[in-house]
Amino acid sequence: MRLCFVFLQKEFAVRQEVIILAEATAIRTPVSNAVEINELLRRYGVKFGIYKNGVFKEQLFPFDPIPRIITAEDFKSIEKGLIQRVDALNKFLFDIYHEKNIIKDNVIPEDFVYISSGYLPQCEGISPVHDIYSHISGIDLVQGKDNEWYILEDNLRIPSGASYPLIARELTRVASPSAFTENDIVDNRNYAKLLKDTMDYVNCGGINAILTPGRYNAAYFEHSYLAELTGSVLVQNDELFVEDNILYHKTYTGGKAKIGALYRRISDEYLDPLTFEPSSLIGIPNLMEAYRSGNVAIINAPGNGVADDKGIYYFVPKMIKYYLGEEPILKNAPTYLPFYDEDREYVLENLGKLVIKDVAEAGVYGVVFGSDLSEEKLEEFKNTILREPRRFIAQEVIDFLDLPILDNGEQVMRKADLRAFVLSGATTRVWASGLTRFSRNPDSFVVNSSQGGGFKDTWVLSR
Amino acid sequence: MKKLNFCFSTKLTFDNYVREHSFALRCIPPESAAQHILSCELDIVPFVSTKQTVDAFGNNVITGYLKGEHRFLDFEVKGCAEIDSTAQKRDYMPCYLYQSAYTKPDAALKEFHHRISMTCTESEPYSRALCFCEALSQLMTYDKQATDTKTTAAEAFELKRGVCQDYSHILLSVLRLDGIACRYIAGLASCDGETHAWVEIWDGCCWRGIDPTNNCAVNDEYLILSQGRDFGDCAVDRGVMFGAYTKQLQLITSTLSANGYY
Amino acid sequence: MGTISIEHGDRLFWLGRYTERVFTTLKSLERVYDMTLDGNADCYKQYLSAFGLSDCGDADTFFRSYIFDKKKPGSVAHSLERAYDNGIVLREEISTEALSFLQMAMDKLEKSSESTQGLLLALLPMEDILFGFWGCISDYIYDREILTIIRCGKSVERLDLYLRLKYPWRMINLEFERLCRHLQNVPKNSPYRYNTKHLSVLAELMGMGEDYTERADEAIISVGRLFETV
Repeated sequence: MRLCFVFLQKEFAVRQEVIILAEATAIRTPVSNAVEINELLRRYGVKFGIYKNGVFKEQLFPFDPIPRIITAEDFKSIEKGLIQRVDALNKFLFDIYHEKNIIKDNVIPEDFVYISSGYLPQCEGISPVHDIYSHISGIDLVQGKDNEWYILEDNLRIPSGASYPLIARELTRVASPSAFTENDIVDNRNYAKLLKDTMDYVNCGGINAILTPGRYNAAYFEHSYLAELTGSVLVQNDELFVEDNILYHKTYTGGKAKIGALYRRISDEYLDPLTFEPSSLIGIPNLMEAYRSGNVAIINAPGNGVADDKGIYYFVPKMIKYYLGEEPILKNAPTYLPFYDEDREYVLENLGKLVIKDVAEAGVYGVVFGSDLSEEKLEEFKNTILREPRRFIAQEVIDFLDLPILDNGEQVMRKADLRAFVLSGATTRVWASGLTRFSRNPDSFVVNSSQGGGFKDTWVLSR
Repeated sequence: MKKLNFCFSTKLTFDNYVREHSFALRCIPPESAAQHILSCELDIVPFVSTKQTVDAFGNNVITGYLKGEHRFLDFEVKGCAEIDSTAQKRDYMPCYLYQSAYTKPDAALKEFHHRISMTCTESEPYSRALCFCEALSQLMTYDKQATDTKTTAAEAFELKRGVCQDYSHILLSVLRLDGIACRYIAGLASCDGETHAWVEIWDGCCWRGIDPTNNCAVNDEYLILSQGRDFGDCAVDRGVMFGAYTKQLQLITSTLSANGYY
Repeated sequence: MGTISIEHGDRLFWLGRYTERVFTTLKSLERVYDMTLDGNADCYKQYLSAFGLSDCGDADTFFRSYIFDKKKPGSVAHSLERAYDNGIVLREEISTEALSFLQMAMDKLEKSSESTQGLLLALLPMEDILFGFWGCISDYIYDREILTIIRCGKSVERLDLYLRLKYPWRMINLEFERLCRHLQNVPKNSPYRYNTKHLSVLAELMGMGEDYTERADEAIISVGRLFETV
């Protein structure tokens, strides 16, 4: 594999001798040469696109050179827990789109499944290659002050972000080799191989392709970088067509090449204008029929949204018991469903200290912290919950363990989460790294790149 | 039981050349306990290679891709079917209990449901559906100009006008508000020279048809082409094409004739 | 490697053209700059007239705008930005390494514009960087079709600029022969199949030796229409 690289945020452009962390963590030699890293970052210009006031801009994703450290022991249990969780989620998806035993056996009330906007009846009865629905799962975790890891959410619709720590590692090894000779860090540069193995495993004959909405998409860098590393063809929808229920790539000589596995980032509802949203201009007509006929694998499978829904999250530990007969290794954040009597009672009594999520709303919309509400608003909210109990879930607010970051040369503590990547192919494997995102704002719980946050590399120690 | 000869054709013309035309047709009547297909032929002009699959709702889907330039696409499906509307069909799907894109009720529809459910004394799903159908037919006026294929139940209800598609969507919406599972049917009926639409109600063990446009039960002179949550799942033809056309014109004709009783 | 789409074929071709435009423009501007050192302050006007452009005031303004002004079509900075625009969508074909050289060239050019050293000295590393880019292209790309398209673009651009700037026949002819070698590698049905008529016009003009300048305009037209479908 070739050397590949990242960038750093602008603040680091100032020359400063940066010596990082040490005492709080188990590593021996800190990352050095932050300035040189910075120069390499410039050179390799890794960017992500965002729209600000309707204008497209390419920004550097601020990189913090202090890595998150996960000890070998911690990782072993996280790894086991993640494999367990993703295996159960894949079994759940298969069940929901086939026999629905988990509903028949009263483990999950059917309303929670069928009112989810991620549930797509059009996918009923389709069996993806090797029954894998979520090939790439991004599981967001946080570490609490009690050192316990909690699952925040599951992302089963092609989660993005792996390319950043991947390229950052490459770079840090060049600029700060001693950190790697002195510490036992598991090499994370096998991500492309993990991804390619997964694509090859489900490939229905033909080339692997990565479908991108184009250069002006936030994840464009990731798409093109992963295409390069996995040897896939980077394609846009107008280069593709379905003929005889086979997906083809149009070539410049007027020929066509069969696509056997399609990694895609566009949402299910825009995937095929002849099956889903008819006005979609970014989809591929009749892709769903090619998929149904078993001629192409779609990575990740359409319909996965039903399993990473806010309302379904509560049931994942139950799924693990139901499908695998095992106790969940990783914990959910303590969650309550007002739908159940005892939970409702608790939620109404403790509303002021809980965070409430509207299951019908996406992302950060519909998330309310009870502590932000006035007495009057709290009462009002209680009535809403009583009226529509199945619309909400309530969670305890987790006290995150803060991580050190460099802010203008000074080390400060900030909230951070971890997106772990789990790849399902012949076996389910956890990438020994992950994307650690932190918030720039000291009071913010939101670790989001569009809010000015940045990312860190995640070092898993080998012993 | 009746034997029906059916013929359904559409002629799609464009005012300029189009190319890279992908289409999906749901015009081959599906086989079921109530509908036995004795023969069925599909002709498409210009010639194009096609594939047939069965979608999640049990519909036959014919897909094709016309790469070169063309200005029209015609297809005709004809054949013969044995219809027994009393036979039991049990292909239930849970999604039929929930509102879908076209049937999402607004305040007015909820109010309408509230009102009619108060006056309806029936308790069986099918009888309630007949009851709602009656109320609906008193309120609505059949009007071919008022709505189009994109009109939702709420929009048509506000106009109090529409065609079979709108009648069906409104009925589906109130039935689902009532907790009754039901589905949209696109097909051919002897009363309609184009495609017709009606509703099937899940009575707890099988499907039973109601034609809200004509406020009557469905009999052996209805041929099902496709079924789903609403029109969106059932469109007899859907297509995507490229070209500098500004207009497309679609002519649909259908004939359905009984050719004998059993 | 998989397959090349029409869009990517087009991008590859223009990546070749724009990167070459950066290089040859830089080279010729350096030559003009060198000439001005001997007191021939107006020789930049010849450069402008070769492209049918009007005078822009004085030599200093000329050099600054045709090197650093991103908004000036034909300037080094403008061409470099176009090259990058094409390169960014070709990462998996040309490699992250090759792409990084274009980013580096943009960074270097921006730095050079602030430099207080002599212009030539400040711009010298630009050539190293561009050679680095072409090194990556030759070294990392194994797909012959991809290489052929980029190289066709490069050759066509160089021929076009050499013809406009009335370079010595020998140099033009060498480039023409190189282009012909690339054209032999173009597969059937490719949009980069040459147009026989225009290729023979070029061959004929090359046969004229140094007298080609009499019919240089014709040659420029034929270069521009080399891939026109018959």
